[in-house]
Amino acid sequence: MTRHSDPTQVQLTADGRLKHFLTTEGLSKELLTEILDLADSFISTQERAVKKVPLLRGKTVVNLFFENSTRTRSTFELAAKRLSADILNLDIARSATSKGETLMDTLWNLEAMYSDMFVVRHADSGAAHFIAEQVTPGVAIINAGDGRHAHPTQAMLDMLTIRRHKGKIEGQTIAIVGDILHSRVARSQIHALKTLGAKEVRVIGPATLVPKEMKDLGASIYCNMEKGLTDVDVVIMLRLQKERMSDALLPSEGEYFKLYGLTEAKLALAKADAIVMHPGPINRGVEIDSAVADGKQSVILNQVSYGIAVRMAVMAMAMSGQVAEQQALSNKNSEHDDTKTTISGATV
Amino acid sequence: MSTLTLTHAQVLDPSLGLNQLSDIVIEYGFIIDITAAGKSISTNPEFNAEKALVIPGLIDLSAHIHNIASETVAAAKGGITHLCAQPNSRQLIDTPANVSLLQQASAKANSSRLLPIGALTQKLAGDQLANMHSLKQAGCIALSNAREPIKNALVLRRIMEYATTHDMLIMLTAEDCDLSANGIMHEGPTANRLGLTGIAEVAETAALAQQLLLVELTGCRSHFSQLSCGRSVSMIRAAQAQGLPVSADVAIANLMFTDEDVDGFDSTFNVQPPLRSEKDRQALLAGVNDGVLAICSNHQAQDIAAKKAPFAAAEPGMSLLDTWLSMMLTLVNKGELDLSAVVNASSILPAKILGLKAGLQREQLANLVVVKQDADICYSIDSLLSSGKNSPVLGEPLKGEVKLTFSAGREVYRA
Repeated sequence: MTRHSDPTQVQLTADGRLKHFLTTEGLSKELLTEILDLADSFISTQERAVKKVPLLRGKTVVNLFFENSTRTRSTFELAAKRLSADILNLDIARSATSKGETLMDTLWNLEAMYSDMFVVRHADSGAAHFIAEQVTPGVAIINAGDGRHAHPTQAMLDMLTIRRHKGKIEGQTIAIVGDILHSRVARSQIHALKTLGAKEVRVIGPATLVPKEMKDLGASIYCNMEKGLTDVDVVIMLRLQKERMSDALLPSEGEYFKLYGLTEAKLALAKADAIVMHPGPINRGVEIDSAVADGKQSVILNQVSYGIAVRMAVMAMAMSGQVAEQQALSNKNSEHDDTKTTISGATV
Repeated sequence: MSTLTLTHAQVLDPSLGLNQLSDIVIEYGFIIDITAAGKSISTNPEFNAEKALVIPGLIDLSAHIHNIASETVAAAKGGITHLCAQPNSRQLIDTPANVSLLQQASAKANSSRLLPIGALTQKLAGDQLANMHSLKQAGCIALSNAREPIKNALVLRRIMEYATTHDMLIMLTAEDCDLSANGIMHEGPTANRLGLTGIAEVAETAALAQQLLLVELTGCRSHFSQLSCGRSVSMIRAAQAQGLPVSADVAIANLMFTDEDVDGFDSTFNVQPPLRSEKDRQALLAGVNDGVLAICSNHQAQDIAAKKAPFAAAEPGMSLLDTWLSMMLTLVNKGELDLSAVVNASSILPAKILGLKAGLQREQLANLVVVKQDADICYSIDSLLSSGKNSPVLGEPLKGEVKLTFSAGREVYRA
């Protein structure tokens, strides 16, 4: 009956600029393309001897990781440093009691230090969105992964990888293979791929790991990997967590690899020039054969370096959106003040 | 006890087949007479109820009460005259001593009446039977395990047999906790999109099927609280047609909202049972309209900190005592519920389920509410009397403003 804050719009300013980066869902093709274009331009700066650009000079970025991460956190750290920001890394183990209070208390404490941007990873879906709604205006939130919901910077670096290796995203057929159910990466990828004009997004896995509702997001569901891989341009493999066996979602790693592991034989069903991607860290012999992971079609390591450029792009865009919004607000307020002065002047 | 004559009221009581402009004469708390409008003879002080509706007071089959004083007053303002308190209140209602503490607190509050529901199992752990008979003797209106699971079907069977022995009403929730494990909202497209763990319909219907089979075996008078699935309504309808002694209710939230309201990760909409699909909502509305389902508030006040958290980490529940009647009248205004079905589902049917006197009968203590049915009303944090400000309808335009509430012959609220 009631309508609430649209999670996809919380991240935009009134004039449609990015001010947080929470999800790829609901963002326009133009905005996603702007992120990719800016990231592209940062890739060239990374190849220079002096890699820093001054876009975030004087700003304080806090890496707020409630969940462990090595690569995502370090690429965010590098990205912030290359934008000339000051960066603080906080690894906060999740408190077992009164989680909400801890999160709010943490936030208030960090805000008291005048931070300008939080990069947040949290085990609860919606955590980044929640924080974006709670923080002081002017502070940007970058979602570095929330529960199963979204991991938008990973998805965008994957889009950049596809664009750089396949020329464009329009018209491509992409297969995402594995544990779709628990994957925030897959959800963010599907939204971005659909918006950017991919021809078809296939999700491949057993019914225990592929919710039937994925079709509502516009993906086609394949339980047979051979059929699903036939004639695709891009294969994205997802990491299989060990606890899926104890959760009774799968019988064994061995059976999973037999059915859904990417081998050279299965990859041969895709187009000859298909690329293989993986958000990492990879489980060799569980979801991907070493021969494929290290093979000539694999672009897995390229993804990591593009990750820095994409994170630089969204951090720069969100900060500039925040600055513009604050500027617009203060202009509006000073206009308002002017009016008041005039009126009181007239009265006097 | 209060003495008053309500004049020119549109009196609606489906249990008496009454729907006409009338006067109601109340003396020393008792309804002495219901006459045609303007025909009453008394020297009582008058309350002009012109253009207002008078209905039997609401009887809430399920509320979670931690602060008796504030919540009974909120209930009175909301037109609720009787409030069943689930056993998981601050002090578990699992011993006669705790029952009497609750009753004393309720008497002290001197507002709408609190009816304690005792625990079915010790500490609500689901393993050992509570002293069910002693709890009944101490004044429990029924017994339930709140929403805590009774995992062992044999324990449930023994509970039903023991309850039947002593002619007690038990209230059950239908939820297979293994099937709903880690679930936080309805399993469907919205849960998938938001990446929140879903609770499948089958978590309710599989448990309900098992419980209905045990009712058939034991003959235990059983009430199913807070059903959320359309399929469950059909199962209750079939069980009633088969002659089983079963009844059921739905929480007002499930009549008004769906899983799509969770969009935006608003923790206000984190409730148990979960808000389900529009199809389920429609089936639940139909269940109320055809008299199968009662409606409860399933009120659960939470402090601000408990809700100020990411969706899955927030405490479940909505604060609803203040707004329950307005929410129902809003659904009437939208044409989704019939007015007489609402009165039946929130007063007459609950009274019958609990074994209380139903409706506006003469020579009975007055339990009634005077409400401006079509008045626009909008609730704010400050206008809620409940200690919980976790209301889903703050700032929403609703219908129905309570003017006067009589509970057990006492005037407990006047606007």
